[in-house]
Parts: sequence; structure tokens; C-alpha cells
Amino acid sequence: MSVATAPNETIIALEGVSRTYTSGRLSVPALVAVNLRINRGEFVAIIGPSGSGKSTMMNILGCLDRPTEGRYILDGTPVDTLNDDGLAALRSRSIGFVFQSYNLLPRTSALDNVATPLMYQGIPRRERHARAQAVLERLGLGDRLHHEPTELSGGQQQRVGIARALVTEPAILLADEPTGNLDSHSGAEVIELFHDLHASGRTIILITHDPEVAAVAERQIHIRDGQVAA
Amino acid sequence: MSIRDLFQLALGRLGTGKLRTALTMLGVIIGVASVVALVAVGQGATSGISNRLAGLGTNLLTVNPGATFTGFTRGAAGSSTTLTLADATALQSLTGVQAVAPQLSTSKLVVAGSLNTTTTVVGTTPGYLTALAYTMWQGSFLTNASVDSNLRVAVLGATTADDLGLGASAIGTDIEIAGLPFRVVGIMQAKGGTGFASPDDEVLVPVSTASALLVGGTNVRSIGVSVVSADQMNTVTAEITATLRQRHGLTGTATSDFSITNQDQLLATVGSVSTLLSVLLAGIASISLIVGGIGIMNIMLVSVRERTREIGIRKAIGARGRDILAQFLIEALALSLAGGLVGIVIGLAISLVIGVIAGWGFIFSPLTVVAAVGFSLIVGIVFGVWPASQAARLDPVVALRYE
Repeated sequence: MSVATAPNETIIALEGVSRTYTSGRLSVPALVAVNLRINRGEFVAIIGPSGSGKSTMMNILGCLDRPTEGRYILDGTPVDTLNDDGLAALRSRSIGFVFQSYNLLPRTSALDNVATPLMYQGIPRRERHARAQAVLERLGLGDRLHHEPTELSGGQQQRVGIARALVTEPAILLADEPTGNLDSHSGAEVIELFHDLHASGRTIILITHDPEVAAVAERQIHIRDGQVAA
Repeated sequence: MSIRDLFQLALGRLGTGKLRTALTMLGVIIGVASVVALVAVGQGATSGISNRLAGLGTNLLTVNPGATFTGFTRGAAGSSTTLTLADATALQSLTGVQAVAPQLSTSKLVVAGSLNTTTTVVGTTPGYLTALAYTMWQGSFLTNASVDSNLRVAVLGATTADDLGLGASAIGTDIEIAGLPFRVVGIMQAKGGTGFASPDDEVLVPVSTASALLVGGTNVRSIGVSVVSADQMNTVTAEITATLRQRHGLTGTATSDFSITNQDQLLATVGSVSTLLSVLLAGIASISLIVGGIGIMNIMLVSVRERTREIGIRKAIGARGRDILAQFLIEALALSLAGGLVGIVIGLAISLVIGVIAGWGFIFSPLTVVAAVGFSLIVGIVFGVWPASQAARLDPVVALRYE
């Protein structure tokens, strides 16, 4: 699977994006006037200590949350104007999430876990199972299709998670501390997998606090106190 | 997302927590089962009572003595002794009257060989057989001759004959009523009535014999009058009233010293009372259905709380609010509908058992079943909507971080 790459085509553009949390009279700025551009096919690491605003960054980039100020354009779509259903549709179409704690659906087979995003796109059962199976096989899980998450090792669960993120052919892969819960061997395998995906043209955004993990990306974006550090 | 996907999601989920699913459904099961059973019992009782009343005789009028007055105090109806055998004879000749059966009843010990029973002994005339719609099984009924000659003969009801161990061969043998020998001339066919006061548990003797030997006096407790056809009931009632008022010397506005009961009116009254009872019972039972619905709502709310993270995941990978809403709503619907179906089966089983025990058989009402299914669906929607919309409104950022 390779993605057509137009060099230097902007896929993510943040212009003066701020996110302020308000509770009562207290307002806490988590992101302050962030400008950011990511091109198609890039492998970017967003790195920062906890409390730096990188989780907020991930929520905004992943269309789980809207900026309180500024503009965010993802793959040509202005995100800040969308309603909840619009955001859901955009997530479904353009974003593949990989989580630190895998976040697989419990009591659900690997195959069904991977096929679920396609279900929400309204793709018929037969086709989505075929596509899910193809992705799982490509990630070396062909013999684990009908295993439930509790029957899989951490590394296998994370690969199922990555398969679920890839199955919709999203514009970007958004990985939040994907190696955080894995032993070093499994973690290295996942990083290796990201390298392969990047090599085949996939846009990957890796969010981490660990400079060592961030080092595998071709570009590092440091966040501190809600701002992008130079 | 197709409907089939939604159902597979919801049903798959219910299958993973079978005990909880069963317990949640229990409320609806009990509610629906009790509605179905109580409605069936109500209908069964209605038809049982109607059948029994119809079995007493068709187009039957019953004349009872009126109440006595002691000063200004009215006694119970039937407490006076104004009806006589002569009154009964006089009614015989009215047009539209098919048969007249004066009844002079008392409770006596009846002995046959080594067996005995205390039963109702009714002094009456040959008209009894026709008026009260009995048929003979063995031998013959009382005759006018036996009434005229005060013969000590007896006709047994089917149950009484059974109790005394008397069969076909007993015709012509003697039994003792209150210590006096009576010859058995006939045994009647069982009416197969229901309940405690069986119409088959009685001994019939000539009214003259009863008044001479067993009761005393010529007053009768009631007179049954069967009318030739239903449309003559009112005219015959009027005729009887006129005849008896004349015989009793009542003129002008004087209160009648007797009352006439129309079987059909009684039937209609009983019918409307038991319909009211059925509705009342079903109403009470539907309260348990509401309680069952609240049980579903409770479990669905707990479920939404427990699965907050799962909801977050689903939203992150593309589920819209309405996908989540539909998933949880269908889960609640499946719970209530499955509970409803099980409840219907149990309710029908209960009504079958009660019907067989009480003797009115199994009454299946498709309307009740349809209503029960509809009701449990409504319960599922009403009590499922709120938890489901809670789930649909969850903020994915918050839900994903929920532990």
C-alpha cells in the first residue's frame, strides 16, 4: 500500500491556534497561538514534558476537540467550523489513532476491532472483514484474527491497534506514546513498523515525552508551556 | 452503519453478561407475565361464570320472596315467606311460560348403605328438569303423580350419587333422607358446573313430600320460571308481577312482596363486573412492568458509565453520536423485548395452569400478546432513551481518559 505523495503538500495547518480550558472563573491556557505546518508524507514527533500541552495538541490534531481560537485546516477541511457529527466524519475519514494503552474494544476479536472503523463508514460486512484481514496479515497477525485482546501480548495488541488505525487509509496516523506500555523489544518493533509505513508514504505524527522515541522521526517539534519551541 | 450491524453489536453485548442480562430482564419478565396471566385469568373467570349461569337454565326467571318489615327495618331479601305452592301453580298457566319449578330446599343427611353425605334436598315439581336445564342419566324424573300423592321418591344429582356410591343399579333401591326411607327413581346427568356450589350436588324430592316431611309448611324459597323464548322475558315478567300482586292482594302503590330476577340481566352484570376486574388487575400488573423498565434504565446507566472508555474509543475511530445512541437504545430494546417474550410465555403457562385448575380451560388472547409486546417495546424506548443519549453526548476527550 503506497500513498501518492505530492512533495511539500501541506496536510496540516494550524494558524494561531489556542485552546483555553475554563472552569468557573478560572481559565487555563493549554495551547497559546500555535502555528504549525506538516506536509504529506512527513514523519513528525511532537515532544514535550507532561503538562506542556501536548495532549491538548493531540486532541486538536485528532479532531477530538476544537480550538477556542485560530484556524485548523486538515487535508483541506477547516476543522474549527465543524459540528460534532462533522468532526466524527472527519476522524473516520482522515485520522488513524494509535493509543498508548492500545484502547482495543474489549471482548471483541482482533478482526472485528480492525473492522469497526469501516463499520462506522457504512462499508458492508464482507468487504470490511476482507480489508481488516488484509491489514492484519500485512502486520503479521494473520494467525491472530479471532483472538480477543486479553489473549494477545502487548506488542500484538499494539499492532492490532495500528492495523485498526490503518484500515481506513487515513490521511494521517496519530500515535500517542505508542511504545509507552511496551517492553523495549516490542517497542522497537512498533518503531520499525512506523519506519516502514513512513517509507511507503504515510504521514505519521508521533506524540511522546521521550526524546529517544522522538529521535526516530525525521522532524521534532518541541512543545513547552503551550507553545511550540523553536 | 446498517441495522444488522447495530443489532449484532447490541445482542453480542447482551450475550457477554448473561447473568446481568437475565436479572435485568427479570423485571420486565415478571411485569409482562403478570399482565398476560391476570388478563387471561380475568377473561377465564368471566367466561366461566357466564357458562355457569347459562347452565342454570336459559331464559330463566327466578321469583324470590320479598323482604320482611319489622317496623321500619327492612329484612334481607327472601326473608319473608310470601310465596306458596299455590302461587307456583298459578304461574303455570300464564302464556309464554314453559315450565315452573317451585323450590323448597333444606340441608339434610342422606344415607345409602354405609355411605352418607349432607347435601341440599330440594322439594320441587316435574317442571324443575326443564326450567333448570337438567337431563336424566338413569331412571326417570319426578312425576305429577308422585307430587300429587306425596310419594317418598328421590332423584339424585350426579355428584350426590357419586358420593353415595350409587350407580345405574341403584334405581329402585332405598336411601334414607333425615332418617326416612326414600326410593331412588332417577339419577341426573352431570352439568359439569364449576366451583364449590355444584349444581350436581343435590337430591330432588316431590315438593309435597318435602313440605310434609322435611321442611314443613307450604311456603317456597323460590320459584324458577323458564320462558319459551328470550323476547318474551319482559312480557312474562310483567304477567308474573300482575298475577302475584293480585293473588297477594296488593293494589295501587303497595310494594311487591316478591322480586323477579332475570338470568340475562344477571349475566350482563356479572360480565361487566368481571371486565372491570380484569382491567383493574392488568392495571396493577402494569405497575410491575414500569418497575421492570426502571430496572432496565438503571442497568443501562451503569453500563454507560462502565463503558465510557469504549464509547470514547468508538467515537475516536469514527462513530457519530447517533451511532452510539442507536447502539445503546437497541440494547435496551433488546433487553425489554426479550424480557417481554419470555414474560408472555410464562404468563400463558400460568394462565393455562390456572385455567385447568379452575376448570375454564385455556383462553388465548392474541390482543393481550400484541399489547404485551408493544408495551415492553415502549418500556425499552422510554427507559432506554435517557441512558443512550447520555452515552451519545459523551465528550470523546473525556471518555478516552476515563478509567
